[in-house]
Amino acid sequence: MNSQATTHTVKRKGRTRATRGAMLGLLLLLVCLLPLTTDNPYWLHIFILTLIYIIVSSSFRFVSTSGQLPLAHAAFMGVGAYVAGMASTLLGWPAWVTIPLGAVLAALTGALTAYPFARLRALYYALASLFLGMAIIYAIIAPRDWTGGRPGLSGIPALFPDTREVFYYLCLALTVLSLLALYRFEHSRIGTTLKAIAQSHMVAGSVGINEVFYRILAVGVGCFFAGLAGAIYAHYNTVLSYTSFNLMATLWIVIYVLVGGIGSFAGPIIGTALLVIVPEVFRELKAFVPYVSAGILLLVVYLMPQGLISLPLLVKSWFRDRADRKAIHVK
Amino acid sequence: MELIVGTVTNMLISSSMFILVALGLAFIFNMMGILNLAHGTIYMIGGYVTYAFAVWVGLNSWAALLVSTAIFALFGVFLEKFCFRPFVGNFDAAVLVCVGITVVLQNIVNNMLGTQVMAVPHFIRGIFRAGLVSVSYERMLTFAIGGVLTAVIILFVRETALGQRMQAITQNREAALLQGINVNRLQSLACAIGCALAAVAGSLMGAYTNLSPFMGDDMLATILMLVILAGAGSTGGIVIVGAILGSMNAILPVLLTGDYAQAIYVVIVVIILLFRPEGFFGHEA
Repeated sequence: MNSQATTHTVKRKGRTRATRGAMLGLLLLLVCLLPLTTDNPYWLHIFILTLIYIIVSSSFRFVSTSGQLPLAHAAFMGVGAYVAGMASTLLGWPAWVTIPLGAVLAALTGALTAYPFARLRALYYALASLFLGMAIIYAIIAPRDWTGGRPGLSGIPALFPDTREVFYYLCLALTVLSLLALYRFEHSRIGTTLKAIAQSHMVAGSVGINEVFYRILAVGVGCFFAGLAGAIYAHYNTVLSYTSFNLMATLWIVIYVLVGGIGSFAGPIIGTALLVIVPEVFRELKAFVPYVSAGILLLVVYLMPQGLISLPLLVKSWFRDRADRKAIHVK
Repeated sequence: MELIVGTVTNMLISSSMFILVALGLAFIFNMMGILNLAHGTIYMIGGYVTYAFAVWVGLNSWAALLVSTAIFALFGVFLEKFCFRPFVGNFDAAVLVCVGITVVLQNIVNNMLGTQVMAVPHFIRGIFRAGLVSVSYERMLTFAIGGVLTAVIILFVRETALGQRMQAITQNREAALLQGINVNRLQSLACAIGCALAAVAGSLMGAYTNLSPFMGDDMLATILMLVILAGAGSTGGIVIVGAILGSMNAILPVLLTGDYAQAIYVVIVVIILLFRPEGFFGHEA
């Protein structure tokens, strides 16, 4: 009886894994075909931005699995963007050098600042990192001659100035690679260790986990991908302004993650796609775009506390409840 | 001399305004554990509502200030009932709600009035002169109102029965409930006071400088620093830390150029926070 049950579950697991793989493949194919569906370069622009922000919000969620809410994340994206932008405008380095450089330097600054911050936890960590983000932004805009100050840094060479399609596929490739890397990290021993630290740093410490090291590692990896996204953004947008990386920008990343569902890997992807793309449908009514985002946000908070990812479960349980009620009624 | 007098008045004014807005944030944070990220926006809208009543409706500035304070006290009650109370103990959801409110309100103001330069009409005119010192009455008034309101609130919290019940909730919610304290009603009261204070500060600053849809963002960052540095559960600490931050905010720009001053200011706060995460006067780590 018992063994039968086990084989049954194994079989079911195998089937879901196969269907899951097929669905992911189908989704990837659809995303690949996306540029063919529209002639409008504006939509392509939106899709590229969506991909860039998917990297940022997924890496935000990766850091948050270690129990730290990194409210300086947009600022680290800014570090990557400004490093890439300054390396190409001031030093004239090619994008193939500046993009990895931006990512690595963002990871380094992230890891270096993570060391003193490892003594803070929970809300205190979140707020201290929020102030760290502000400090980074002011440090970026203060040396006006190098970074362009408040008006912004302009004149960064675009990676593919002629076609957006090629850039889209480059972004897609980088996004898929980043997501694969983050997924592998999360489902490895490191990811499990991070979750253990988030649940109880004391228990984790008592079984010999080096809490400080793993928390720095989580921030370093997260900032690497944030910096990567920032560097791509710099070479896509060609103009950088500190407003893309300040407190409000970080709060928007938090919103993407929470609306999608912070508890699941797909959460940030769904949240970002929804909140970047859907408001654009209403862009004819330009003034209404923020209200659409805010509306989605409030709807999710009041109806789906676990985020959009919990929607199928909620619908399923609603139908089951209704069936139950009906059954009782018939009886 | 001019510079010294100017800096000192700036110190006093920014300190008193920071304290006034931060008291509201601290009340809500201490009693409900909710970090009201919409507090800066309420401060901003408070100024605009006072402007609307003073200029569009044509009321006296003082009457407009009173009306807007009353409106925001009611708004605080609404906020507590529908936006904070359902999410006590759910940090993520509370953040989402507050950001949602901020986005909506800020965009309404920005879309309607964002490009216009406007200021709340002066509450009082004239300049006080004594020898080399000359200060406008407006500045003195702003500081005076800030100081008096802060004193009243602190006396209220420390001396009256209602205030002591609020402190009891801050110390232990469940125990306060068991003692028969009506926690929900007192939370409403705290939110009403907090929002009203933010609206007063916004109106005063809207008369002293210009109104802007984004003036709440800087204020939010400052009051978050202030409340965390003061430590959870301390009202007296807010006054002291508020005076320190206000002074730094006024003195650093005199010594350094704009953005360097801001950078150093924030870095100092981060370093303090790294060594004393529970704040100067907090009672929990």
